[in-house]
Amino acid sequence: QTTVKGKVTDDTGMGLPGVSVMVKGTTNGTQTDANGNYALSVPGKNAVLVFSFIGYTAVEKPLNGQATVNVNMAADSKSLSEVVVIGYGTQRREAVTGSVASISGDKLTEVPTANVTQALQGRLAGVDISQTSSKPGATTQIRIRGTRSLTADNNPLIVLDGIPFTGSISDINPNDIKSLDVLKDASATAIYGARGANGVILITTNRGQKNQKARVSYNAYAGSQEIFAKVPMMNGPQLAALRKEAKVYTSNGVDEDDAVNTDWQDLFFKTGAVTSHDIGVSGGTETGNYNFGLGYYKNQAVVPSQQYSRYSFKASMDQNLGKIFRVGFTSNNNYNLNEGGQIGTFGAYAFSPLINPYKSDGSLKRVVNMASGDSYVLTSGVVDSLTNNGLWLNETRGFATYNSFYGEVSIPWVEGLKFRTNLGLDFVNSNNGNFTGQGVNAVNATTVSNAGISNSQTYHWTIENLLTYDKTIGKHNFNVVALYSAEQNKYNRSSVSVKDIPAEAFQFYNLGQAAGEKTIDPNNQDYQLWGLISGMGRIMYSYDDRYLLSATLRSDASSRLAPGHQWHTYPAVSVGWNISKESFFNVSKIDMLKIRAGFGQTSNQAVQPYATLGRLSTRPYNFGDDVYETGYYVSSLPNPKLGWEYSKTTNLGVDFSLFNNRLSGTAEYYVTNTKDILLAVGLPETSGVASITQNVGETQNKGVEISLNGTILDNPDGLTWQAGVNFYTNKNKLVALASGQLRDEGNAWFVGHNINAIYDYEKIGLWQQNDPYRSILEPGTDDDVIGSIKVKYTGEYNADGTPKRAIGEADRQIIDVDPDFQGGFNTRFAYKGFDLSAVAIYRHGGVLISSLYGSSGYLNTLTSRNNNVQVDYWTPDNTNAEYPRPGRHLSGDNPKYGSTLGYFDGSYLKVRTITLGYDFNRSLIKNNKINLKAYFTVQNPFVLFSPYHDQSGMDPETNSYGNENAAVPLSQNLRRILTIGTNTPSTRNYILGLNLTF
Amino acid sequence: CNDLLDEQPRSFYEPGFFKTERGVAGGLTSMYAHLRYMYGQAYYYNTTLTGTDEVTYAQSADGNFKVMDLSGQGIIDPSTSRSDAIWGITFSNINTANGVIENASSIGTISNALIAEAYFFRAFDYFLLVQTFGGVPLDLGSGELKFNNTATRTSVRNTVPEVYTKAIFPDLLKAVADLPAAPRVKGAATKTLARLYLAKAYLTYGWWLQNPNNIPTYPETARTDPDGHDAAWYFQQAYNVANEGIDNPGPFGLQGTYYDVNLGSNDRNNEILLYADHTETSEFYNGGSLIYGSGGAPDNFAGWMMTWNYTNIRSGGVSSVQREAEQHLGRPWTRMCPTIGAIKNTFADKVNDSRYDGTFTTVYRANFQKAEGAPPVVTNANGMQVGPGGAILTFLDNDDPLVTYANGNANIGAGVLPGRADYVIAPSGISRLVYPGLWKLGPYRTDNDGGYGQPNAGSTRPFNIAKFSELYLIAAEAAVKGATTVAGKSARDLVNVLRARAGKWRFDNNGNVAKVADNSAAMTAATPATIDINYILAERSREFYGEGYRWYDLIRTQKWEELSKTYQICGADVGDHTPVTVTRDIKPYLYLRPIPAGQLNSLDMTDAEKQAYQNPGYN
Repeated sequence: QTTVKGKVTDDTGMGLPGVSVMVKGTTNGTQTDANGNYALSVPGKNAVLVFSFIGYTAVEKPLNGQATVNVNMAADSKSLSEVVVIGYGTQRREAVTGSVASISGDKLTEVPTANVTQALQGRLAGVDISQTSSKPGATTQIRIRGTRSLTADNNPLIVLDGIPFTGSISDINPNDIKSLDVLKDASATAIYGARGANGVILITTNRGQKNQKARVSYNAYAGSQEIFAKVPMMNGPQLAALRKEAKVYTSNGVDEDDAVNTDWQDLFFKTGAVTSHDIGVSGGTETGNYNFGLGYYKNQAVVPSQQYSRYSFKASMDQNLGKIFRVGFTSNNNYNLNEGGQIGTFGAYAFSPLINPYKSDGSLKRVVNMASGDSYVLTSGVVDSLTNNGLWLNETRGFATYNSFYGEVSIPWVEGLKFRTNLGLDFVNSNNGNFTGQGVNAVNATTVSNAGISNSQTYHWTIENLLTYDKTIGKHNFNVVALYSAEQNKYNRSSVSVKDIPAEAFQFYNLGQAAGEKTIDPNNQDYQLWGLISGMGRIMYSYDDRYLLSATLRSDASSRLAPGHQWHTYPAVSVGWNISKESFFNVSKIDMLKIRAGFGQTSNQAVQPYATLGRLSTRPYNFGDDVYETGYYVSSLPNPKLGWEYSKTTNLGVDFSLFNNRLSGTAEYYVTNTKDILLAVGLPETSGVASITQNVGETQNKGVEISLNGTILDNPDGLTWQAGVNFYTNKNKLVALASGQLRDEGNAWFVGHNINAIYDYEKIGLWQQNDPYRSILEPGTDDDVIGSIKVKYTGEYNADGTPKRAIGEADRQIIDVDPDFQGGFNTRFAYKGFDLSAVAIYRHGGVLISSLYGSSGYLNTLTSRNNNVQVDYWTPDNTNAEYPRPGRHLSGDNPKYGSTLGYFDGSYLKVRTITLGYDFNRSLIKNNKINLKAYFTVQNPFVLFSPYHDQSGMDPETNSYGNENAAVPLSQNLRRILTIGTNTPSTRNYILGLNLTF
Repeated sequence: CNDLLDEQPRSFYEPGFFKTERGVAGGLTSMYAHLRYMYGQAYYYNTTLTGTDEVTYAQSADGNFKVMDLSGQGIIDPSTSRSDAIWGITFSNINTANGVIENASSIGTISNALIAEAYFFRAFDYFLLVQTFGGVPLDLGSGELKFNNTATRTSVRNTVPEVYTKAIFPDLLKAVADLPAAPRVKGAATKTLARLYLAKAYLTYGWWLQNPNNIPTYPETARTDPDGHDAAWYFQQAYNVANEGIDNPGPFGLQGTYYDVNLGSNDRNNEILLYADHTETSEFYNGGSLIYGSGGAPDNFAGWMMTWNYTNIRSGGVSSVQREAEQHLGRPWTRMCPTIGAIKNTFADKVNDSRYDGTFTTVYRANFQKAEGAPPVVTNANGMQVGPGGAILTFLDNDDPLVTYANGNANIGAGVLPGRADYVIAPSGISRLVYPGLWKLGPYRTDNDGGYGQPNAGSTRPFNIAKFSELYLIAAEAAVKGATTVAGKSARDLVNVLRARAGKWRFDNNGNVAKVADNSAAMTAATPATIDINYILAERSREFYGEGYRWYDLIRTQKWEELSKTYQICGADVGDHTPVTVTRDIKPYLYLRPIPAGQLNSLDMTDAEKQAYQNPGYN
């Protein structure tokens, strides 16, 4: 017997208390003390010590005769893998049988952003986060394992500290987040039943630790933002040449000259800035703990006057009251201010470069005349000056408070039985005010001022009564939960707009002073009240950690559905087998191997309240100049049978850990079938009514998800290299539409295809002089048609080989938009105090729609109506071009079939961040009480493998819903198709930050 | 706790609201408001004119306009045809009318006069549909002419005679019986209005039964009347009903001069029986921006289409005629233009007949002085100076061999005449690029305040739909078709009422000076002794040019191909003043517009059924 001593430290050099130190293959062991030191008697000099601690990768060290063994433990890349949050409780990772993906707060803050979902992009398999706007403070679209529903909501349920979250996820300060867990399959989400079909994201914020001295942390970063890439618009000579070629605009405008070359993007965009400060205090005693945090975030966009700032305050406390009572609360609050959203970027691209915006004295013209008409001149200087003088404002002030309180009783006479009541009280308030001074952004300088306000409030309460029972009998472990909950949400929005504020200093603060028309548009007022009542029971059982079972039954009733169809009950069950715990299992390279399977049902009630009732829409009308009335007509029929949409999911998974936990991973396969889809069915015009919401149709999502995390090199004193990668596919298809119907062309839904399909022609080239059958397929004169877009003909041919008809509607193709596969990877190198890390996302296949190139954007009309993106267009001397002949064969203002010019292969690999950090504790600061780390991050440094990027130089990530940010966007019902439009441009950011703890 | 599951909407109406008195009133208002989605909607407006002898496409025309011209610039098909505007709005309105008619009787307190407005609009929409598309469904899902509360994704078209005899005639007869003589509110339906439509429906159905040029109908059906009458009977009814309208005018009548009918400051005058109203007093109730129109319904932007880009005019380098919210000017879209034939032949008499001057902008006058820092005068044609309000460009009444054109003239390739300070263009030089504007539909605002105003807004004027004057032409047409006339009301007598009025002048619109003249005698003397259909049609064109009647007039009388198969216009390039004759290919199947693609897309029927649903020629 010899004694071995040593110290266990974490990757910052701090001693780690409470680490288990065992002699391998024995029950002999100890724990480290408060400073991380240990001493242990061992049987021989060749024993192997095993160091393990929750949240850290276990380390095995052969003694090799040494008497002192110091160990540096790295935080497990799945640092929370030991305990995951599963909803109404937590579970040890190895006992989990459903599909749960987790990420820790410190991983999320590797990508410094205002919105945690942006940091989540590409980090978790099966969690697809798409950018829907690039404005500061914007939120994202989250899809977990694909899109299930057609017109009902596809957003996952977010649960913040146990309470269903009603606000915007951007209200949550990423620095307050301790962990984020995503429940993906039905067996995991069944406990959230009615709202679980789209997956559940559980966000847990920081709390204080028991017996912890007060600890202060300060995190800050600041940086600049530059446009990722300018839109490649034509320069002066190029546009002048296009105008002559197109012959649509026969004359330059008064302010245009072929000799001028103005770059409007240079005049309009500026350098943006981002700043973030967070300070937190936490601590704890034997019986209680606390945590407070203050945060400040500000992002000034590259678009002048556009900015977002957020002030957040977070507090949580837990306190034992005697032996059996425990109470606590969490409060997340924020105030945010969003400004300048009214400033569009279209003009910066569309303005003709031939315009000379300056008068002879060098000052800017107020209005310029180009061939297509007059325009108000917008440069960053003009916008800044108007904003600073209070003449052009659009600001939204949001205040939100999300609170949960709980009281818990440990029933004294039954060990393991607890009763708990959770109360959630949330309030979200949003005030928008806008003001446009006289003549601002208007061709006519006497255009009257206008102002408006819009206010909305959300009141949300949740009450949950939970009975839990934990019991271990020998190797049998039980956890039983019973729940009854009720929830109600009330939303109210009011909006008023006016014209002609006589004293401009009033802005929007007293609309009653307006001299002009005051409008309360009935379409801009809203009231919604909905409620949900639920009961749930869950049992989790494990035997010796080898055999695992979880079973759930939940019933929900929703006010949104028709009476008689409001209740639904669904079961879920999942099982797991930890093969590596079996005595017969003896594979030295495999540390852990678990297989699991789950099946369950969840549902979706996510139609708007009152959808069962039908609706009258309004039409205002004037009888003469003085009698005003509002008319009504039926736009939606009632449906007294509207019921639940539900999904059945089967999930198979394997979790493993290999090579002394150097490589761990998860692979899963799932199938989700969704039936009785809630669908706003578009009716033919002849029915006299636009739509009705019905339970029709079926969809299916199936996919494979693989995540791997590895430590490739592991030398605490030298180079450590860790890497993680995830890969996932989701095959989404519509299985059925209403009553045997196979296609709904109006909504672009086709059985057997993606829900996100588009229905359009397929460009196969341009018509050339000698192409056969041109005059049959695409009738018209040679001068008009030759050089125009040639699309695929799918019709029949006569015996002599001639096509039977001209190209028309029937030749449109179904184009699936979803990618083949996608995912992300991250890697980290550490060498002494330095570490270098990178996070990247990728997707392959699918279709990217850019309205900058397609006809909806009016930036590729090839008529010189606006400035045009630089494209290689057909002329009689350049017949090998990709883009059509300017000004010929138009449909509307664009080339016929011009929408096909906006479709690109959606593949890309985008490095989101590269960060170089340095830990000062490794050199300058030897004081263990202070931790200081500094880093430099580049966001969006580069994009690879993207055909769109290759063509345009621009960021291939979407930035708009289909019905936004284009001159003639897609219709509302195709909003689901995300596009790249004229939103605030994507940026490349350079950020310097530090983390300080003491 | 079950309270949590109850629903009570508090921010919108559910369909049950239609069963209240207030709901019925709102339903009626929406019937007037629905007019805006057709009348003033420029793409639909285009389908009523482009491709007729009145109008062809202009230089900036997009596909919407070119396909309508039928001159090889594309084909009219279910997705390019813009008659979808009618299809998309009328069925919803018919359903509203069905609901009002059904509910009003169960409420019990709604007057027959109010219910008659719903009958009128149901007939109005069906009449528009049956002319445009042929037979259309009377059953929207819950039975013929019943308020639809069934989500139907199929549709069955009724035949043309069914639509007339089951819906249009009974509804209009009820409307004639129950509507008041004077409107209950400005612009509301009246007995006179209902008579006009009943007379026109009888006339149109008479033509359809007669089918002189063997134009096909759809769904196929025999040209026999289920009510057992023949064409002559309907022509006689048309004559009688129109006559009743003329003899019992109520508050309506003819304006003193033609100029006053369409003068902006005289809108909603007593000659106008129906209009899609707009206003500059309220942006919300106007339904479109008062500052910048985006070119979509419910805005009234039809007037932009026949406005050429006069802002390209330069006088000595100065932009001398700038965009202004004034009836002669307005927002230029250069999408449609008059044919040379319309200017030279239809309006051959520009001296006695005031209707040419009361239809077109033929003189473009200097308004440069309203801009900041403007010079006092500009240098115009022949190096001569023109001051504020002076003529910059004039479209001549007659061709003149002395006109010399040059590309540089006024920057638009205009012509000059010796000794004249204004640039000129002769009738034969009217091109797709430069042509007389449509003064009738020009904007009129009272808030310009001495400046250019808001020329980019949609027109805040009502878009006129039906006029008292048409009663005369309907009666005259019925008379030409053989109706027995009463004394003093022969076809020639009736036409002469309007021609006599057209001879009266109180203002020279394009000369911009008062002009009191009465050329009535000369006008009526020039009327041929025997009136035929072509003369009626020419007279209709002079009276209603550019107001959206023409295509319907030509298909009713089956004269579309005869009168429109060729037209003359000069090309689209600057300085092109060489008229060319363009030939149109007007096949018989084109007399019905295609059922819009949107309807077929949302039908849950087999491809074969959908093909059978579509009008022949468009599959």
